[in-house]
Formats: sequence, C-alpha cells, structure tokens
Amino acid sequence: MNGVTERLDRIIGEFADLDGREKLELLLDFAAGLPPLPPEYAARKQAEDRRVHECQTPVFLWPEVEQGTARLRAEVAPEAPTVKGFVAILADAIDGRPVAEAVTIPEDMLERMGLADVLGILRSRGLRAILARVKRELAAQSGS
Amino acid sequence: MPDYAQPDVLVSTAWVADHLADPKVRIVESDEDRALYTMGHIPGAVEIDWQVDLQHQVVRDYIDKAAFEKLCSERGIANDTTVVFYGDKSNWWACYAFWVFKLYGHQDCRIMNGGRKRWELDGRAWSTDRATYPATRYAAQDQDAAIRALRDEVLKHQRAGKQLLDVRSPEEYRGERMHMPDYPNEGAVRGGHVPGAVNVPWPMNCNDDGTFKTAKELEKLYVRELKMKRRSPTIAYCRIGERSSLTWFVLKYLLGFGNVKNYDGSWLEWGNSVGVPIVKGAAPGGAVAEAPTAAQVS
Repeated sequence: MNGVTERLDRIIGEFADLDGREKLELLLDFAAGLPPLPPEYAARKQAEDRRVHECQTPVFLWPEVEQGTARLRAEVAPEAPTVKGFVAILADAIDGRPVAEAVTIPEDMLERMGLADVLGILRSRGLRAILARVKRELAAQSGS
Repeated sequence: MPDYAQPDVLVSTAWVADHLADPKVRIVESDEDRALYTMGHIPGAVEIDWQVDLQHQVVRDYIDKAAFEKLCSERGIANDTTVVFYGDKSNWWACYAFWVFKLYGHQDCRIMNGGRKRWELDGRAWSTDRATYPATRYAAQDQDAAIRALRDEVLKHQRAGKQLLDVRSPEEYRGERMHMPDYPNEGAVRGGHVPGAVNVPWPMNCNDDGTFKTAKELEKLYVRELKMKRRSPTIAYCRIGERSSLTWFVLKYLLGFGNVKNYDGSWLEWGNSVGVPIVKGAAPGGAVAEAPTAAQVS
C-alpha cells in the first residue's frame, strides 16, 4: 500500500502531462468517483457545521482520524465538479494512511498538477483553503 | 402585464435551440465552475472563462482592448455577431461576461434566461464536443466609462447621496462576515458597506429555476418599495463585481434605468482602502461628506 506522497505524486504526474481540457476531464473522472456520503452522515451535516462556508456551493467535509489513520468523507453538490474532483483526490490520497503522512500534502500540489493556471487565481485559492482545512482538522483530531 | 425595458436582450432556451446552427449567433458559456463546460455544454457553445480569459493575469483589471479583440477572434465572434451568454448560478458569470463585452462596445449581446439550470430543466441536449470556429477580425471600442465605476467615482457618488446598491448577503452588508478562514488575500480588512448603500441581495432578482423575476416583480422591488428612480445615476457593487453585474443587467436592461454602473472593484477594494468611509450594521447610513483623514484623527 503506497503512502500519501507516492499516491499524490502519481496523481500529480498524471495531471501534469495533460493539456488544459484533458486536465478538467481527468478532474471530472475523479469527481465521479467520490463515494456517496454514508447515510448516517447526512443528518450530521447541519448539526456539526460541516459546511465549508467559503464555498458558494454546498460542500460538506468530514476529515476523520480512526486509530491514527486518516479518512476524508465528503459531500459536494454536482454543480461544483471542480471542488468535487479535488476533494476526491484528497480522499483517495489519504484514505487509511497515518495522519502524520496526510498532513504533509504539499500546498503547491495545484501548481504541480498544472491546475492552478487552468482554474485561475481565485478558484485555486478556494481549493487550497479546502486542503488547509482538511489538514488542520486532521492535525487537531490526532492531538498533534 | 408590463414587459422588460429591452425584452430582446433576454432570450429563451427555445430561441437558443432554434439558433444553434445560425452563423450569426455565437453561444458563450461562462461559469463559476469551469469544469461544467467540460462536463457538457449547449451544442456549439464556446467557453469564455471570467478568471482565465477575461481578467488580466498580472494587474487586477480586465484584459486590455487588444487581448479582448484576440479573444473574440479566437472564439469566432465578429463585430456583428449576436452573442448569447449563459452559465451556472442564475447567470452570474454570464452577466459578468456580458458586462465585459459591453465594456468593449460589443453591439448585440443577449442572456439566455435561466442559464444552465433552465436548459437542463427543459430537457435539452448537452454536448462534450469542443466547438471551434474560424478566426474573425474583431475591432473593439475603447472601454465604455458609462458602465464602469472606479473607486473615486463611488466616493463622490456616496458623498452626493446618490443611488447605491450593495447586492451581497445581509451578513456581508452588515459587516459581520468578513473574516474568511484560510482566505487571507480574498477578504477585506474592514467589514460593512459604503455609506448610503441599500442592501438588495442579488438572489432577489431571480427565480429558483435560474430565470429572472418578471418585470412587474422587479419594478415592485426597486421602484415601488425602494423608491429608486430610473433617471438617477446608480452604482451597484458586491465583493468582486460579479454578482453586481447581474443586478446591473437587471436595472439597465430589464427595468430601463438610464444611468447604471457596476463598481467592479467592489468590497475587495473598498474594504481594503485607506480612509474611505464605512458603515456597519443593517441601516444604510447617510452620505459621508468627508472621509476622515489621518491628519484629522491625530
């Protein structure tokens, strides 16, 4: 089982070789692969304030730590496929890996994927905010 | 029932479906989430992205005239092309692109009422084929100062107590929601609104299906309830000028306001500017004659 860095490097490498349109198509593939939110989470959306308020479109995130390993569950509205694809990539990369690895996801991953130019400054900043939030919450839950 | 002031500027999904193969018509999608165009767009539509295509990548401004001409040429848009904009979010970004096209003097611009949502609800087809067209020769006009307000003009406008609309959410208007975690550069250092600005959140212009409210409903809101005057100079703003371009469109084309401008610098400029007056809370507040200067304060 590959570590977070290996998994991300593979994904970043896949994106880096594509042109702008293909990058968005690959992002859509990831978006389509985001697992649906388990039913027991649905009721907790409002109660736990899982909404990412910076996003105009409803985005709900649960970065979780179980016995030292990280997991990201999420629900992203279908009208925000870019956010959905990015969240799916993060979920893929950290799933089942130690928190210490998950919080090392590099801030410049969008630049390395070549997505920052395709998405523009404001959208990229929005995605970086999601990454920062996931890392912050994972770190807080692991007590580090 | 009263009609919109310029009803031809708004077209239906049926009109667009009838003009898909019309060489005089170019359909342009502009979205908040640009992967939506990749996912599926109206057959033959080209994409113009508000961040990557319309904004200057170094200076905080729009692309210049030459870049706008190049963009139109590449998208197969000629000076006499009818350009129909549509997109997600009740056509926020479509209105924003429309406004930029008007800024550079494009004659025939339309909005497809309801945008992506209405096209989907009407059960119309989506395409994933990227549309390309032969390059045109396009000659843009100089920027039309009549539709764009810059900061100093807004400052004078508010001092004179003229019509000013803040189209952000009530929380942003009152100055309660300015701290956005992890958005250090996208927020403003001060919260509140421009003195005298009335808060009319942009969703009040739209129905749930993404279409605009009727002329009667819009007239009731702006003219009868808010007592706004069609002939008085009006400026609309939001956070970065996108939501207010929708309100600008509504006032100018649907209600027939004669002199309305979009302040595209909006709160991200105002709330970060030194010495400009700000009002917090739910009341518009009166016009502020003079902004306090550092010399007066000390």
